[in-house]
Amino acid sequence: MTVKFNNRDPVYVQVIRHFKEQIAKGYFEPGQETPSRRELANQLKINPNTAQRAYKEMEEQGLIFTEGNMPSCITKDEAVLKSVREELIMEAVDLFLGSIQSINVPLEEVLELVKKKHEVKSGEAEDSK
Amino acid sequence: MIEVKNVKKNYGRKQVLKGLSFTAEKGEITCLIGVNGVGKTTIMKAIMALTPINSGEILIDGEKIRKESFEKITFIPDTITMLPQMKICEAFAFMADFYKNWNFQRAEELLQFFKLDPTERIANLSKGNTAKVNMLLGLALDADYLLMDEPFSGIDIFSREQITEVFTSHLIEERGVIITTHEISDIEHLIDKAVLIDNGEVIKEFSVEEMRENEGKSVVDIMWEVYQR
Amino acid sequence: MKNYLKLVNFEVSRFFKFYLILIGLTTFSQLIGSIIISQVYMKNAKQVMAEQQFSMKQYIEKYGTFSFYQFQQSEWFLLPIFLCIAMLMIYVFFIWYRDWFGKNTFIYRLLMLPTERITIYFAKLTAIMLLVLGLIALQIVLILIEKQIVNSIIPIDFQSSFSIYDKNSLEMWGWLYPNTFSDFILIYGVGLLLVAVLFTAILIERSYGLKGIFGAILYGLLSLGVFFVPIFLANFYTNYFYPLEIFLLELVACITVLGSAIWYANHLLKHKIRV
Repeated sequence: MTVKFNNRDPVYVQVIRHFKEQIAKGYFEPGQETPSRRELANQLKINPNTAQRAYKEMEEQGLIFTEGNMPSCITKDEAVLKSVREELIMEAVDLFLGSIQSINVPLEEVLELVKKKHEVKSGEAEDSK
Repeated sequence: MIEVKNVKKNYGRKQVLKGLSFTAEKGEITCLIGVNGVGKTTIMKAIMALTPINSGEILIDGEKIRKESFEKITFIPDTITMLPQMKICEAFAFMADFYKNWNFQRAEELLQFFKLDPTERIANLSKGNTAKVNMLLGLALDADYLLMDEPFSGIDIFSREQITEVFTSHLIEERGVIITTHEISDIEHLIDKAVLIDNGEVIKEFSVEEMRENEGKSVVDIMWEVYQR
Repeated sequence: MKNYLKLVNFEVSRFFKFYLILIGLTTFSQLIGSIIISQVYMKNAKQVMAEQQFSMKQYIEKYGTFSFYQFQQSEWFLLPIFLCIAMLMIYVFFIWYRDWFGKNTFIYRLLMLPTERITIYFAKLTAIMLLVLGLIALQIVLILIEKQIVNSIIPIDFQSSFSIYDKNSLEMWGWLYPNTFSDFILIYGVGLLLVAVLFTAILIERSYGLKGIFGAILYGLLSLGVFFVPIFLANFYTNYFYPLEIFLLELVACITVLGSAIWYANHLLKHKIRV
């Protein structure tokens, strides 16, 4: 698990985003144990205080939960999981729209291109398997 | 907490520290940043009473340094502090002999982590391995505060990687760490607090995560701002 | 106290390899020398007796007996002693400077030990004294062995009696081997004083750099001055002081010099030293 962090966004925010991506992709399953704060810091090569901060925020956002002295786990709350996925999709779409709008391309043309590209890429992914 | 208060120091007629102040908390990594020759190493030596200061005060948990302090705070300079003819295990024995807080178990653990051979003579070690042994001698002490002078400079990337790993591990956790560097970009994620030093003075002291959160600026951005003025 | 003993042990063991070489050289040179000198004497004596048809008694009357002193004056005997003295003198300086110079700056470690820093000073001082006393003891043992060697080569009738305190023995001898306990304390006490003053002078140089060299010289002269005051007094006002008074004055002077050396070294190590 290596993540390339940028230096301008708070590292804890980037860690949370990384978690959300993992959840959306399904690498983190609902109820799965998360690494300890110390393990996380070590894996991501970040400051343990930052890992701590990220976990605290995620707990507040309901992404993870902790029962007593047990290790933290990914939430089982369907609503939260769904919203994570939606949030990431919406973010990507917004970003995409932003760049498309700036070069004034008609929507139909873009959607066609997106479809084609997507098929080619999925095909490649299938072939490589 | 380590408090450096208005410290002034002259070398001959030249003033190298001009009323320098900053603090370093326990449980945090504080990084002194500045180009070579701005007085970073001098500050560390001053904290350890290895060089006199002309005025000002340095406190460790509210106390001036005394002999007991050397079990509470330890300094890892950029050259190894053991005799070259000693074997690594002999250096360990020396440390264990004099320091009550020498942690055998941790020393062993670090030896394995760094893949070092305890029967090797210090004089025969590569540059990277010498730096690792030097760091090991400091880390294996159960000290609350660790000062490290340029731990990442002049060593190969694999050694760098290993030392970086140390910084994100339980070996550093809970302790107060002060490191100096003239090359911050690789370790920005590791540190809690940056203290920018130029010409013997602190020109900015800030929490790096807060800076990113509130102003969206990296340490390097801030350096551009302050050093360009 | 425990740290002091550990440091003494450490300092001695750091010099030990070189010390063994010194011991080896001295032993080798003196033992070989005692054999060679005795054999040369005997060979010469036999030759002369044979050529001139002398009896042993006649030979001795004409050429004198063999004195152990003759061996003691030879290079075989003296050179290694001078070498040892010179090396230890150099080591008085080197014992400090070796920690500052070189790639590995061991002085950092020493100054960061959780013990009073003056302990380092005492340990180094003790180490030097132990090394000196060790060589002195070695010399005593060697002389006993050398006497045996000489006796085994030169028949006792050819020899004049010898004691370490022979009146025509070297003057240096009286200094190295004082014949009373109080002289011993006196001579080695002054030696200790000298080393302590040198140590403090070294620390002045180490604390103040170039300026420190002048400071160190000044300090050395001052200490020397205090040390010699009672002796000057005794020479200046002859018959004014009782010898006991001079002795007591000298004692006070010595304690002052030693006390100030230690006090000043402690101050420097605590507040002024730099690495």
